[in-house]
Amino acid sequence: MTDLLQLLFAGLSQGAVYALIAIGFVAIFTVSGVINLAQGEFAALAGLVAISAAGGGMLLPAAAVLAVSTVAIVAVVMERLVIFPVRGMTTLVSLILTLGVSTGLKALMLLIYGPDAKGLEPLFPGAFDLAGVSIRYQELLILAVAGVVALAVYWFYEKTLAGKSLRACAEQPVAARLVGISLSRASLLSFLIAGCVGAIGGVLASPIYFTGWESGLTLGLKGFVAATLGGLVSVRGAVLGGLLLGVLENLTAGYISTGLRDAVAFFLLIVVLVARPSGIFGRHAEARV
Amino acid sequence: MARRRLLLTGPSRRSRRGDVVGIALLAVLLVVFPLVATPSVINVGVYALIYGLAALGLSLLMGLAGQVSLGQAGFFAIGAYTQGVLVTRYDFGGLAASVIAVAVTMTAALLVGLPLLRLRGHYLALATLGFGVIVAVLASESDFLGATSGIYGIAKPEMNNRLYNSSTEYFLLLVPVVLIGLLLARNVVESRIGRALGAVNDSEVAAESLGVDTFRLRVQVFVLSAAYASVAGTAFAHWLGVVNPNASNFPLSVKFLLMAVLGGVGTVYGAVVGAFAVEGLDDGLRRLIPELVPGAVGEVQLIGFGILLTAIMIFLPGGLHQLWTTVRRRLAARAGPGDGPSGAEAKAPPDEGPLLAREGRPAPGTPLLEVRGLTKRFGGVTAVDGFDLTVDAGEIVALIGPNGAGKTTAFNMISGPVVPTAGTVTMAGTRVEGRKPHVFARAGATRTFQNLQIFTTATVLGNVMVGRHLRSTSGLLGAALVLPARREERAVEASARELLELLGLGADADRLAVDLPFGRQRLVEIARALALEPDLLLLDEPMAGLSGAERRDLARLLRRLRAGGMAIVLVEHDVEAVLALADRVAVLEDGVRIALGTPDEVRHDPAVVAAYLGVEPEDADAVAVADSGPAGLP
Repeated sequence: MTDLLQLLFAGLSQGAVYALIAIGFVAIFTVSGVINLAQGEFAALAGLVAISAAGGGMLLPAAAVLAVSTVAIVAVVMERLVIFPVRGMTTLVSLILTLGVSTGLKALMLLIYGPDAKGLEPLFPGAFDLAGVSIRYQELLILAVAGVVALAVYWFYEKTLAGKSLRACAEQPVAARLVGISLSRASLLSFLIAGCVGAIGGVLASPIYFTGWESGLTLGLKGFVAATLGGLVSVRGAVLGGLLLGVLENLTAGYISTGLRDAVAFFLLIVVLVARPSGIFGRHAEARV
Repeated sequence: MARRRLLLTGPSRRSRRGDVVGIALLAVLLVVFPLVATPSVINVGVYALIYGLAALGLSLLMGLAGQVSLGQAGFFAIGAYTQGVLVTRYDFGGLAASVIAVAVTMTAALLVGLPLLRLRGHYLALATLGFGVIVAVLASESDFLGATSGIYGIAKPEMNNRLYNSSTEYFLLLVPVVLIGLLLARNVVESRIGRALGAVNDSEVAAESLGVDTFRLRVQVFVLSAAYASVAGTAFAHWLGVVNPNASNFPLSVKFLLMAVLGGVGTVYGAVVGAFAVEGLDDGLRRLIPELVPGAVGEVQLIGFGILLTAIMIFLPGGLHQLWTTVRRRLAARAGPGDGPSGAEAKAPPDEGPLLAREGRPAPGTPLLEVRGLTKRFGGVTAVDGFDLTVDAGEIVALIGPNGAGKTTAFNMISGPVVPTAGTVTMAGTRVEGRKPHVFARAGATRTFQNLQIFTTATVLGNVMVGRHLRSTSGLLGAALVLPARREERAVEASARELLELLGLGADADRLAVDLPFGRQRLVEIARALALEPDLLLLDEPMAGLSGAERRDLARLLRRLRAGGMAIVLVEHDVEAVLALADRVAVLEDGVRIALGTPDEVRHDPAVVAAYLGVEPEDADAVAVADSGPAGLP
């Protein structure tokens, strides 16, 4: 029983990281139909920037802010240089383009930070026991920050004019343009959001899960699976998908085999796509011709 | 920026001879290469040939199926591992082992492809990415596969007492394999399958309406592309002597993708050219970057891959192939102006005899299409409400009604692209509602489109040849091996040309269909539909955009088709033309069928007059009486 609780808790905090990355996928996909394969690299880059800044003596909160702003700038520059100039973006083109950026970012991280994975020192080190379950402060921090960020993103989309205009672009791009919403600005904004949430996820995860130049690959893949579980178009679905994936991964690692942890995401993806392409939390099918 | 196209496949250019020359030239270059290059360069060349095969498969997948795999290395690894296990553990001969290795890989691809290829492209991309990761994870977890150290001791191949152990020998051993791979790939691209998939990339709905089973063909191409990766994997295993989980490394998948994209997606030789360029770049960067960035270790060449991949997609989406064709076209333009295409309006002969009558067509008067209670709701709006219609063989039925009456929606439900909320559609005994358009086509019916769905990368002839898809049979294997398929190709081309003559499009046969004026593009769509020799033809506003003379020609053509036993349903705004042509007319208003009858009955129906003139039915009686005759309708 304690084992189960321990695994569930670890799964939730890891799932919260996936959820943040998944929100990034959703933010960009809904506006421009682009699946950003560099989303995982946003998280990895943030982790490495924070580690290097903290290693240079910067205070942890300052290092975190620096990491998030760096990635936000990278995301915005990527949108302007790589996504914006391309007209007639097809799925194929967008995948190859973002894969190019992702590969470039990976290599850049390798050149700057070296090949070894490192962990950021936690803001509040240590752990405490609750009903036999060992809980690290960092895990609580992950859950708290991810919760606040997810709520903020949700509030932004539902309540603010800018958020509503992003949703309008997603649902009716032509009509959105007719009422004066700039698709170009919407696309830029969506990359900014994706960069920020991805970076926050990366910084939060680093003390526990470590960060290396290649971390973005699996982080991105799992974020995508989480977003797909939620139907790829819903922030709420992405959060639930992330938490579910995290829990399932930890249960698999705990009860079956640690080595299979990374296989869970893939099998979950296949199963969901076969059974319910609209996502298990999605409401309407994505049957378009 | 010019219109972006990744795809240069499809029947757009009849370049068979050019291809053969190209491949022959490549063959000469490949044979000369090991004679002039230094051993270390030949070593790079060996990897280029191995990886080029995998990239070629990926290029076919992207060019034909319009989908991308980010896990090509996963299939590469399955091929390599299977080969390694069979050769080192079970004493298989290299050739026998590679046949099994390819079969195993193709089965794996089938299992991955089946659930995913129905979905939009990004799912296949991400799932294959995950697949590659899984293959690496499972391999390193499996003791049977040697865990992280992998399988080693795979011997160099030996044939006729000759051991292929130097890079030159191995290179020369691979050259014929790569050339055969190129030839097979080229045959597939040029085949009926390649043509159909090229059409799908231009307009999926139109290709499916002509009977192309998109999903099935995509699965086939996906499996074929995995087979290429697998062959590459077996060659890799023997060359390196070791297979470890790194064979399924994600950067390797990226490398395959870069090779395909750099060479020009969908061009067969492009992948091999791209492979040499990328391998050269890889080798150069691995030497250069540690000099520039002290202490740089690991896969530093990726920086170049990433930048190159992005830059190509932005500046040169057709890859080196695009560069090459642009240069050639510039040179050709300087050499002199090309012969201007003839836009002459060739007149169809004023023949009135029956057309396209054929054996086995249902006898005139037998019910062909039965539509019962067809309903479509979009949210709260009911676009079509309980629509009933029976169409018999050998009659022309017109569907008219004001804008927004639901005519096209009804058409789309009958022919497949739109799934009805309720109701049934039976075509020649087959229930087709909610099925894909190719099911409707297989039942003997096809359609044209109101907003044209021309295959833009194909010539007029190529468009019509896609219409022969169901009237020809050669599959992927036959196409790859070319011999049996060749005669059928000639027959398909001949019948397509015949049809073009019939519609007065003969002079335009070899022009790109999109270069034709709007009205003639409509005729191309009709010719394409007729190529199917359907029993039932649905025409969505066939008269729109045609001149008066063209309309008269088209009406005459439709009468002749009717005389040949074909049933025709047309949606049309030109009410006069419709009333003169149709045997029966159905009128839709706000999704409801308000009238059905002969043109005369409909002309005098008060509800119809009201719908068209916007008056209440009571007043419409007066209008109909006062203003009987053809001029009564707009």
